[in-house]
Amino acid sequence: MEPIASHENWRNCFSEVAPGLLLFARQWVQSAADAEDIVQDAFVKFWRRNHDIGNRGLLYAAVRSLALDFIRRDARRTRREATALAEAEPVVEPHFELEDDTQSALAAAVESLPRDQREVLVLKIWNDLTFNEIAGALGISQNTAASRFRYALTNLKKSLQPQ
Amino acid sequence: MNDFSELENELRKLRPAQPSPVLFERVGEALEDSTAFGVADARSSWWRLKETTNNWWSLGFGLAAAAVLILFAAVSMEHRREQQQAIAQSSPEPATRPVPLGTEPSTSRSKFVPAGGTNIVYNARDEGLHFADGSERPVRRVRYHTQQTWRWRNPETGASLRVSYPSEEIVLIPVSGQ
Repeated sequence: MEPIASHENWRNCFSEVAPGLLLFARQWVQSAADAEDIVQDAFVKFWRRNHDIGNRGLLYAAVRSLALDFIRRDARRTRREATALAEAEPVVEPHFELEDDTQSALAAAVESLPRDQREVLVLKIWNDLTFNEIAGALGISQNTAASRFRYALTNLKKSLQPQ
Repeated sequence: MNDFSELENELRKLRPAQPSPVLFERVGEALEDSTAFGVADARSSWWRLKETTNNWWSLGFGLAAAAVLILFAAVSMEHRREQQQAIAQSSPEPATRPVPLGTEPSTSRSKFVPAGGTNIVYNARDEGLHFADGSERPVRRVRYHTQQTWRWRNPETGASLRVSYPSEEIVLIPVSGQ
């Protein structure tokens, strides 16, 4: 009941889910530092609200919601800084720890997917959420989640086929 | 089992980039801070239960206080009138006595009518996104601290009554994603 009692559980939980949460946040936010801020905010708020530690759909929904808020705020900032940014080289931090060229190609194919397919893929593959949990996190039906996942895999397969 | 099992396995071999150690430290610190915060959180849970009824409680208390004050005012006026009557009756010169007050309608003087009210917001705090119990859609919670003041006036005597009390209002604004 008390958050103190499950303190270590929460810490361990965060260690387990942090890489996946960060990857999920980065579907909207380019900068890894900004994505980390979002993940921290979402996790701490989730914990403070005394939500069930197993209710992962809600945790991912919180990350998504904060990321969307961030985009809205960031869009305003970006407009203000448009000139400066136009001259700067965009820094793209890798979403994955890549070991070889095959993995690089696969990662690039994932990043080129439409966002709605990519977010389902990220939740399913790297966060091990069920379609039911994905549906809850994204506010879509379970069938939509499943079909987006299938579309994502189909598109990946197409883009990885030798030309 | 399906056409994509091989692809899925390849995808699972991709390891997401690890968060910086700073993130783990920051979250650890936030959880530590909340050891003390846990007590506050338990309280806040209680307040969350109450938050929907808070306004009604404060309004109720305010109105109850107003009713008590009106009652006191009425009793006090009645008492003063009785004293005046007693003095008048014990006067050795009844001829110089003023018109007996008992002949006036007793209720007209103690009638207070509402004369207005104000609700001043002196602090508004955005408490960020929350999930209402049972809801999967986030809402933004904004807490307003206000000072409510209600006034009554007796048109006949010119007496006025004012009740002022602090109030807290929590507004939940649905957040829509795209």
